[in-house]
Amino acid sequence: MHEQDHDHDHDHHDHDHDHAEISATERPGYFDILQAALEELLNERKLVTTAEIERQIDVLDSRTPALGATIVARAWTDPDFRQQLLADGRGTCESLGITFYDDTGLIVLENTETVHNLVVCTLCSCYPRPLLGLPPEWYKLKPYRARAVIEPRALLAEFGTIIPDDVEIRVADSTSALRFLVLPLRPKGTDDYTEEQLAALVTRDAMIGVVTVKANDERVAA
Amino acid sequence: MITIEDFMHRLPNDVGGQASPAFARVEHALAPWEKRCHALADVLDYHKLISTEEKRRGVEGLGADVINRLSYYERWATAFAVLLFEKGILTPTELAEKMAEIEARWPDERVSSTGEPRP
Repeated sequence: MHEQDHDHDHDHHDHDHDHAEISATERPGYFDILQAALEELLNERKLVTTAEIERQIDVLDSRTPALGATIVARAWTDPDFRQQLLADGRGTCESLGITFYDDTGLIVLENTETVHNLVVCTLCSCYPRPLLGLPPEWYKLKPYRARAVIEPRALLAEFGTIIPDDVEIRVADSTSALRFLVLPLRPKGTDDYTEEQLAALVTRDAMIGVVTVKANDERVAA
Repeated sequence: MITIEDFMHRLPNDVGGQASPAFARVEHALAPWEKRCHALADVLDYHKLISTEEKRRGVEGLGADVINRLSYYERWATAFAVLLFEKGILTPTELAEKMAEIEARWPDERVSSTGEPRP
């Protein structure tokens, strides 16, 4: 919001202060003030505390696609776990100690040689946040939401993902109560990989279904 | 051309299958207030003050013009205000007074937070 001022400061000061100090001295914009006002009023009414908001910020920061990647890697290496995960997404994740801070169900969609799954939220931006963190901006914008359900093959091609014509594409439209995670196909040539090595291959976009997972040697070649 | 039927058949959020602008793989790091806004949404949902679905419908209720003019979290913050008014938890006067109070903590008048030009 104040990027120009921010850069200016960096050019003319020693780096002996942290960024919080800079932002705290910047005059806030209209929505900064609206947000702060809502928070303070709810605080005064004892409906929401600042401590709760700060705690939730920590929770949000703790959820990244690396968490989802560990689930995928486990499913690739442990067939029993995979069956459980496909049968009960949320319960199986919770059994690993992953808390679902919101009241949402989770369905894990398995990609196969004949089916490729793609996740969208046409109405807004619902996303498996407890497992992947916050969604990317493009996931929340109209082009992705509008096109995913009507021309997924063309949309995927724009991600560089070419799905052969004989592979069915299934598009799952999320709701506020039900979220989806794609279990991608395990790449060929990874039989000797450890679970940790496998997890390192799994990207956020692969768990949304817009790209496939590639082994390390394929990535270099690409 | 958008016809009256288009408006009658769909609410503003219902974009699935519509003609759309070109796709771009946009990423955006959240500003501090945006992250606080997201955290507030989660806490409001947890306390059953405003559920995720109420928030979505609250955004939709802002109407297409407002939705198209505001960024993602600007819509959320605006919808929260409207929903809290509707539920009788806050009044518009209380919010306006609190915003003025917060704004007055920054005495420099050279930059007006409300007069900031929008892109």
